[in-house]
Amino acid sequence: MPRKLFLLILGIMVMSAVLQASFTKSDIKVHRLDNGLKIIFFEDHKIPSISYYTFFRVGSRNERPGLTGVSHFIEHMMFNGTAKFGPGEFDRIMEFYGGANNAYTSDDLTAYTDWFPPHALEKMVEMEADRMQGLIFDPEVFESERGVIASERRMGVENNNEAILQENVRATAIMAHPYHWTVIGWMSDILSWRRDEVIQYYRTYYAPNNAVLVVVGDFDSQKTLELIKKYYSGIPAQTPPPPVTTEEPPQMGRKEVVIKKEAQTPSFMVVYHAPRCQDPDFFALSLLEKPLLSGESSRLYRRLVRDEQLAISVFGGIEEKIDPYLFSIFVKPRPGADLDKIEKIIDEELNRIIEQGITEQEYQKALNIVRSDFYYSLQTNSGKANLLGASELLFGSYENLFTIVDRYARVKREDIPAVARKYFHELNKTVGKLIPQGGN
Amino acid sequence: MKRTIAWLLFIIILSPVVTMSSERLPKPEKLVLKNGLTVYYLKNPELPLVSFRVLIPGAGRAAEPAGLDGLASLTSTLLMKGTKTMTAEQIAEALDFMGARLSIGDAEEYTSVSGESMTEHLPRLLQIAADCLMSPAFKEDEFKKELARKTDALKSLKDNPGSALRLYFRKAYFGDHPFGRLSSGTDSSLKKISLEEIKKFFSARFRPDISIMAVVGDIDRKPLLELLNKTIGQWPKPAASPLSLEIPPLPVPRGQKLILVDKPDATQSYFALGSTGYAVADSISGPASLMNTLWGGRFTSWLNTELRIKRGLTYGASSSFQNWKSGGIFMATSYTKNDKIGEMLDITFDLLKKAREQGFSEEEAESARNYLLGQFPQTLETNGSKASAYLRVIYYGLGFDYYDKYLNEINSIKARDLKAAALKLLPEKDFVLVVVGKGEEVRKILSKYGQFQEKKITDPDF
Repeated sequence: MPRKLFLLILGIMVMSAVLQASFTKSDIKVHRLDNGLKIIFFEDHKIPSISYYTFFRVGSRNERPGLTGVSHFIEHMMFNGTAKFGPGEFDRIMEFYGGANNAYTSDDLTAYTDWFPPHALEKMVEMEADRMQGLIFDPEVFESERGVIASERRMGVENNNEAILQENVRATAIMAHPYHWTVIGWMSDILSWRRDEVIQYYRTYYAPNNAVLVVVGDFDSQKTLELIKKYYSGIPAQTPPPPVTTEEPPQMGRKEVVIKKEAQTPSFMVVYHAPRCQDPDFFALSLLEKPLLSGESSRLYRRLVRDEQLAISVFGGIEEKIDPYLFSIFVKPRPGADLDKIEKIIDEELNRIIEQGITEQEYQKALNIVRSDFYYSLQTNSGKANLLGASELLFGSYENLFTIVDRYARVKREDIPAVARKYFHELNKTVGKLIPQGGN
Repeated sequence: MKRTIAWLLFIIILSPVVTMSSERLPKPEKLVLKNGLTVYYLKNPELPLVSFRVLIPGAGRAAEPAGLDGLASLTSTLLMKGTKTMTAEQIAEALDFMGARLSIGDAEEYTSVSGESMTEHLPRLLQIAADCLMSPAFKEDEFKKELARKTDALKSLKDNPGSALRLYFRKAYFGDHPFGRLSSGTDSSLKKISLEEIKKFFSARFRPDISIMAVVGDIDRKPLLELLNKTIGQWPKPAASPLSLEIPPLPVPRGQKLILVDKPDATQSYFALGSTGYAVADSISGPASLMNTLWGGRFTSWLNTELRIKRGLTYGASSSFQNWKSGGIFMATSYTKNDKIGEMLDITFDLLKKAREQGFSEEEAESARNYLLGQFPQTLETNGSKASAYLRVIYYGLGFDYYDKYLNEINSIKARDLKAAALKLLPEKDFVLVVVGKGEEVRKILSKYGQFQEKKITDPDF
């Protein structure tokens, strides 16, 4: 079971200049219905399976106090009944047709990811179109699902020390922007969402003009487009949702959160405010993250885990977000490790990058990692669908998938110290510590 | 994320694999290297990538001497921490530089090596993998570091009730049986493991002539064969004949073994209920996996429907079979608020009873068949999953036509076969039940199921 259950795992959003003939921009077909629904097709007949991904431009970023966690709650309710297909019918029918699915909510988007054999296509198109506008939010089911989410929060946050610390650090570092809260939402909000407010939220964001459909696999584009028109055309467009206008003010000094709780081992993390994924600095930070944090050859692993033996593990980096978010460094310290010393070493390593940059070898390594991770994720229909959708929603267009590598390659090694200096400074930093109490 | 079950099901489906004849696993080419290593190879030019797997039978944790849990795991970790020609740092640097993936890990019956890279980096990757297998340095300082890391990781593991549950369950179910060895090690086993033990384990258990390898990806046969002969083909075959790995019969629960692990800060209770399963090659695997699909193997399973969908007691509930050469186990698991654990267990027991007594409808059987067949193609979509499937077929002696046979069988399985499988495999009175939760809140609730043996999560070991 993944540890950070409701964090978005988009796969590493990395690109390459040299793409194989099997997956190029010209093989992608794009359509837009009159109601604004955008459709992205890539046919691939290697296996008799279709990945049918629906992305909505809604996530915890669009929420407000009192309604935190509601995007994720609607993700759950999407399986709980429309007028046409009662509670649980979506799953029951889908599985009867040989399909399976998952769904995830992030700060920025909500995705419904279906995989099924070709003969299930029409039924899946029908059911996906139906729940884009037809949820009934049966009051009894509403309450039961509230309990599921509370259980998910208890498991994912309250029984997980790293998640508790992370939630606190995020809320401390980010003061104004809705990235302040996590996707799961606050427990008191979970326990008090009102049905009418949830329905209003659903109406606003679950609209064809706020969605993107990505279909990859064993299907015929023309026939599938006809099916999609048949089932989706009647869904009316809605007034576009209000933009998120809150901007995070600059941080003006080091912040620190200390959690004291029963635990056998401490936890530690450091975050810095970082740019949105469409900012040119994003790519420089994403590149420098590799020599800093990626793998056992990385600078922080070598110092904290191997040499000084202060930590069991270290990982982190920058995340692809619509609005400015964080560059995070997570450390799992050894029991009893000196947390101040860990912080000092991280400072030293970041300063070394500010002063001296990264080596040519490290720069090449970063580009190699970007390139191979990209190919790894292209191995499956689902991997391709995910990259196309993420590119469309986060980077502005699916087409960026095929050119964005140039943006990585355009980062010069010499540019890295200046970008590092801009973000990795004391005023921009928040530190989190979980210190074990009681127990052993 | 809505459901973890969707991920779990891949494991469940992969065990007893089903397919349609049109997409069955393509037959690989068989290459035998001079040192006796057998390699199964399939070309896939779609992306400039290659994956490989090496399975070393008898080098898994079941071969550890009693009381040395974690020995196989430490051995595989140390293989990548320095060789005669490279330091641990050089190995890590070389792999990271290429963006390549290489891992060595222990299962119960074997240890396996898993590698993946862009084709252009394959020569270097294979060279490193071979070097790790052939000439590990087993340095004292690396051993100490890894042992310390493992000791710390064990503590951190106990902070997470879900992870702790699986380890407590393993020990409760298997006791001293070799399948009860924990890859994580235990507090007392980690104190006993020495570098000498690791070297001994390595030289006794790691050898090419009984190992099997699979390579799938964008490389031609000839350059691959040259590459293999220069790298892993140089792995010397020991003069001594291989040690066999005798696995004693798996324990069969008689009556009820009940264990409560008290974790005072837990806000939820986690349970695992286990009983006897079946071996990989057992003819019951078709009906058993269909039956499990319906009972606890997928999102709309009985168990998840009652515990999550209808009552909102939990985020997820599931069951699965785990299979080995000589037998297997069944396990059902979920979690809920401490005060709801009784309700959750009552429902679970009721559903076991219902499956045994009433069985499943023909419509349910059809749904399960469609589901297994519909989800199968994705389980062999990548180079790595094909390579793993080859090793599985060979190691368990299933034959390359296994999938076709399996398909035919699945298509003919009816509701009555599922009921028979439920009667044979779902527990009635003989099982092991482990609960990790807040003792103060659950002790009384649990007392109605019988006498629980109680442990504290802070006590050493499991």
